Amino acid sequence: MFGLFTKKNKDFIASVNENSFEVKVIKGKTLLSSALDQGIDWPHRCKVGSCGSCKCKIISGKIKPQIDFAYVLDQEELDAGYVLACQSELKSDIEVEVIFKNKQE
Amino acid sequence: MKLYVNLRYLIVPISSLITLFGIFLGGIYAWIGVILFGIYTIIDTVTKDIHLRAETDDDGNSFGIKQFQYLVMYFMLPVFITLQLALAWRIFQYVDSSIIESAYFAGFAYESGINTTNLIGASLSAALWAGLGIIYGHELSHNKKEGFLVSRLIMALSGASHFTYAHVYNHHLDLGHQDDPATAPRGRNVYWHTWLSHIGQSKFSFDMEKKKLGKQNKSFLSFDNRWILGYVYSLPSIILFVWAGGLIGLLALAAVWVIANFLLEALNFMGHYGLIREEGKPVEHRHSWDNDSVFTSWFFIEIGRQCDHHVRGETYFWELDDVGGPNYGIGYFSLFVLTLVPPLFRSYVKKHLDNWDQNYATDAEKVIAKQFENKNLIAQVAS
Ligand code: FES
Repeated sequence: MFGLFTKKNKDFIASVNENSFEVKVIKGKTLLSSALDQGIDWPHRCKVGSCGSCKCKIISGKIKPQIDFAYVLDQEELDAGYVLACQSELKSDIEVEVIFKNKQE
Repeated sequence: MKLYVNLRYLIVPISSLITLFGIFLGGIYAWIGVILFGIYTIIDTVTKDIHLRAETDDDGNSFGIKQFQYLVMYFMLPVFITLQLALAWRIFQYVDSSIIESAYFAGFAYESGINTTNLIGASLSAALWAGLGIIYGHELSHNKKEGFLVSRLIMALSGASHFTYAHVYNHHLDLGHQDDPATAPRGRNVYWHTWLSHIGQSKFSFDMEKKKLGKQNKSFLSFDNRWILGYVYSLPSIILFVWAGGLIGLLALAAVWVIANFLLEALNFMGHYGLIREEGKPVEHRHSWDNDSVFTSWFFIEIGRQCDHHVRGETYFWELDDVGGPNYGIGYFSLFVLTLVPPLFRSYVKKHLDNWDQNYATDAEKVIAKQFENKNLIAQVAS
């Protein structure tokens, strides 16, 4: 009920910008918080799904959205596979593209 | 330690159940919710100087147990529903002119029927504790999935389901700026703020749905319209109270909603009064007031740690900490009493605002603060 007692503990990997680097996303954590925990300067501002700064494009794989992205992203962006990293958990390993302000090592 | 950290947040659930039981018992016990509120105001004032940090283990992990805290928050939805049912039952007895006499239910002696005075007590008790549902509605608004819906339903019991969307998409984004109806500018009082903030947030939610549905080529009058849906969630309460007491029922529900929304907006008022953020600049710790004296922290499940919350909006309440932001130095109960008397509140808050201007504000924020000061001076001279 409500996922409260779910025991499954599966971590997934997000491969970022044509495998420039990887982010390990543990169950229950979002892509953004995992990236930030790993010291990656992923663009963000509000962390609650309202500003759109953390948006990224899913190339392959599945995510679990925590909110309806339609309030922040345009239909074209949604059709193109854009999501909000701060409101996305992973359902599989993914490939993702994101534009960094400062180039990541 | 783990047990203590988790159990200390049970003050509201236990008090809500006591309030519910009081309305069930009837007679003078119907006032118990009001009396508890008074007692807690005293405790909060007496313990105002005790401030605790968030407790963690040696690895920095919080002692909070997510499953337990979520279970409690979800459990509060049926508690708040039962509170409304109990009040509706009492209204039904009142309108029906039921004889006031002792009766028994499952071994408990209670007073069947209710007089006007005690019905007022029951209504105030239900309103105050239903209003405190905001603390769960707020926390769950940030933890999406099922929690978001539970938040909407809890808020709908106070006719404020729009809050869940407006809080996340408006307040967290526009905090400290005139685009945020929930931030009270300097000089505004809590009564005026309640209406402006409530209507402003509902309008924001209305506009947001309109824009979203427009982008999706859907009609505004659609089942996908969550602004409308929010009010639909409130319909069962209206039907219940009209059925229970006709006009009197409706008046009682109106009183519950007004008081509950007043509490909600008073929290917004106290959390950000007079603080300023330049448009487009990031939200930082200085854009909120902390209220983290011990009783406030436990009672309001750390909602008073606004400085940390607004920078780490995704963080569970039991993980929030003191981040050295602006702090009123007293708890919400004590400050709430001051807000009820606007001149008293303004004189109390002046030294804190002066301190904010001097020690926290950026140069650009100081300029905006000065503009507010001049505007308020002109308004005072004009009146
Ligand atoms: S950080 Fe603002 S939408 Fe993700």
